[in-house]
Amino acid sequence: MRLLSVSSSKYIIVGLILIATVFACSKSEVNLTETNKNETDRKALLTNLSDNIIVPAYADFKTQFDNMLAKSDAFTATPNTANLIAFRASWRVAYINWQKVEMFDFGPGQTYAIRAHFNIYPTNVSTIANNIAAGNTNLEVPASYAAQGFPAIDYLINGIGNSDAEIVAEYTSATDATKKINYLKRITNQMNTVFNQVYTAWKGDFATTFKSKTAIDAGSSTSTLINGYILNFERYIRSGKIGIPAGSMTPGTNFPQKVEAFYTKDLALTLAKTAQTATYNFFLGKSYQNQTAGYSIKNYLDALNVKDATSGKLLSEIVTQQFDVIDVQLNGLQNNLYSEVINNNQKMINTYTEMQKLVRLLKVDMTSAMSITISYTDNDGD
Amino acid sequence: MLTTYLKKSTHAAPLAIFRIATGCMLFLSIVRFWANGWIEELYIKPKYYFGFYGLEFIKPLGNYTYILFMVCAVAAILVAIGLWYKQAIIVLFLSFTYIELMDKSTYLNHYYFTSLVLFLLIFLPAHRYFSVDTYRNKSLNFSYIPKWNIDIIKFFVLMLYFYAGLAKLNSDWLLNALPLKIWLPARNDMPLIGWLFNYKITAYVFVWIGCIYDLTIGFLLWNNKTRLFAYLSVVIFHFVTAILFPIGMFPYIMIVTALIFFSAQFHQKIINLFNQWLKLPAGFIQNNQTFIYKPFALKFRIVILSVFFLVQMILPFRYMFYPQELFWTEEGYRFSWRVMLMEKAGYAQFTVKSSNGKAIVVNNLDFLTLLQEKMMSTQPDFILQYAHLLRDYYHSHGYPNPQVFADVYVSLNGRIGQTFINPKIDLAQEKESFKHKNWILPLNYEIKGF
Repeated sequence: MRLLSVSSSKYIIVGLILIATVFACSKSEVNLTETNKNETDRKALLTNLSDNIIVPAYADFKTQFDNMLAKSDAFTATPNTANLIAFRASWRVAYINWQKVEMFDFGPGQTYAIRAHFNIYPTNVSTIANNIAAGNTNLEVPASYAAQGFPAIDYLINGIGNSDAEIVAEYTSATDATKKINYLKRITNQMNTVFNQVYTAWKGDFATTFKSKTAIDAGSSTSTLINGYILNFERYIRSGKIGIPAGSMTPGTNFPQKVEAFYTKDLALTLAKTAQTATYNFFLGKSYQNQTAGYSIKNYLDALNVKDATSGKLLSEIVTQQFDVIDVQLNGLQNNLYSEVINNNQKMINTYTEMQKLVRLLKVDMTSAMSITISYTDNDGD
Repeated sequence: MLTTYLKKSTHAAPLAIFRIATGCMLFLSIVRFWANGWIEELYIKPKYYFGFYGLEFIKPLGNYTYILFMVCAVAAILVAIGLWYKQAIIVLFLSFTYIELMDKSTYLNHYYFTSLVLFLLIFLPAHRYFSVDTYRNKSLNFSYIPKWNIDIIKFFVLMLYFYAGLAKLNSDWLLNALPLKIWLPARNDMPLIGWLFNYKITAYVFVWIGCIYDLTIGFLLWNNKTRLFAYLSVVIFHFVTAILFPIGMFPYIMIVTALIFFSAQFHQKIINLFNQWLKLPAGFIQNNQTFIYKPFALKFRIVILSVFFLVQMILPFRYMFYPQELFWTEEGYRFSWRVMLMEKAGYAQFTVKSSNGKAIVVNNLDFLTLLQEKMMSTQPDFILQYAHLLRDYYHSHGYPNPQVFADVYVSLNGRIGQTFINPKIDLAQEKESFKHKNWILPLNYEIKGF
């Protein structure tokens, strides 16, 4: 059953190769010039992001955070109004700075579940009360996540009493004052332990390994970085800071009490804006210290020459425009997001809607263009 | 003419080697799957599974799933050595196919190919030469078998490649070098060849070679004069795909499968080596008996295999009965040898609304694994199944008469994404069928070709 003679099959091959060459050349004017070269550089990307953003951001956060720990120690040693006010001010600065590092939800940050110990909200007041009473509850289990970190401190120094005097009284004259002081110490220690694990890793070998793993399969630096970065924006900025309080996830019912820093009424918007700006700067590869742009995700997309097929617009431009739209939305909100949800929720919902558009661009268009995978299993591309 | 063809016989060595190779490759695949922890990850950990339409009762068996894989592995060994072949090949086909049908999130064309090869092997006398069965029972031993036994396997392999090639005859593949233009630059850090992927022309060279390769390789393998060259290109082609893409065992399976095209003498030499190595008598592999089917057995096979090949030839074209773009709707996409054709990504958010005014936007990861979510976000049949799952779940969790709406955004082959599903349609009310799903919004550009 000979289906093709040798000579005819030869002709077919030669013919097809000829057609291929002609077709390919005529269609795209292929030649090995720079215009037809799209060189992406993951080594440069990873190096810029880790050396100029991630590590300096953690270092800066460490300064603010250590200051907060010192003020916390002063307050727990001598609970008085002056120390409370100082602690509160340092907590505020540290919490704002935290927004610039929370997005590093990959590598050590993910390994040590730093967010779980730093910023799960709304904080659970009854769990906090139980933990205070028990004195030695395990803080490493998920059930304890909502009873520690910045949100728990927010409650303990802003929400536990109606005035500074009342709050100080909780740590001086209340029957369980010592237990409360112990709990404050425990959760700040816990934060310190976890942070130092993460920070030490980034200062040490991890950064080197991170920069050298330039492949793009699941588990590679680029892949985990992009996935963590997007997840943070989707779940912890879009949903956590705006969508959940505004009721975007529960149409018809909103939850103003679920805003970030609920017990400090005027802080939520600042936190959201800080996180949003940090996310934007990360995309642009802006150095943490001096704002000069290095090799960025934006450059990477441009090197791939990803464009909208119909408008010819670069994807990176569409993304940056969407970031700008979100900034406009955030600038239209009042500092107190709790009252915004109650009085101006449509503005919150509009902000969420614009953030949602950015999630799509990042999660679908960007990862697809970069060929980022999420799974280790076999795939035949269908 | 057909009767004379059916009477032609040929040496049994190629089929025996094919049996051994298939059994061994399957055994290795299962060991690899197990060792990677994928049984746990894909078939035990998930809370829900996406069954195939009409076969939803085929599900993982909890911890007994390990036993299923064990059965499959043992059957693969039995097939390879040819012990209790007739029973073993049926068990292997059934267990392997069952595994592949448990969750369509893990559907891969080469698993489908393997299932079909196993099905063919049920009807072939692959154990009648150089097997434990013939060693135990000399009366089973035949050096010659009907020629069509081997030809149908060759034909099936040829068909697989040819259809894979046909599927590449489309504007995205040939004119835009998609999706390779997206995938290759991601590999530009590879040693030696990585730099090539920074050039657009590389993707064009790859897609054209890939297409020509698929369309011609079956014929070139079949032809005596071109076979060696063709096999060499099989090895190179699949080796290149193996280092570039995460396609697992497929390249190796195809490299081994293509051996079937080589002459009987070639296979005989391998068997001679095995025979010496196992210190078996020379007579074991040299008897001049020719295996001939009893009339009924032959008729039975002709009917089954004719139906099989007819279905195989038609099935990849079923997409023509559906409106809209095939890559977009994926109606008629599976079981058609369409591989490496799309870079598709999606984002799906579901809102469940109850008749008592409650509403919730679902966190998909509460129900699905990352892989399942990824598959669900771009394929309408998954979206519908998932919507029904949500409907049933929320119905029994305080959401009476739930309505389910999907907000799905999908990007195909690197173009900016667009809305995939009509967001106003209550998917809780829609029923699965082989009919076109008219709630899929049309793709706003055209991909020409097959």
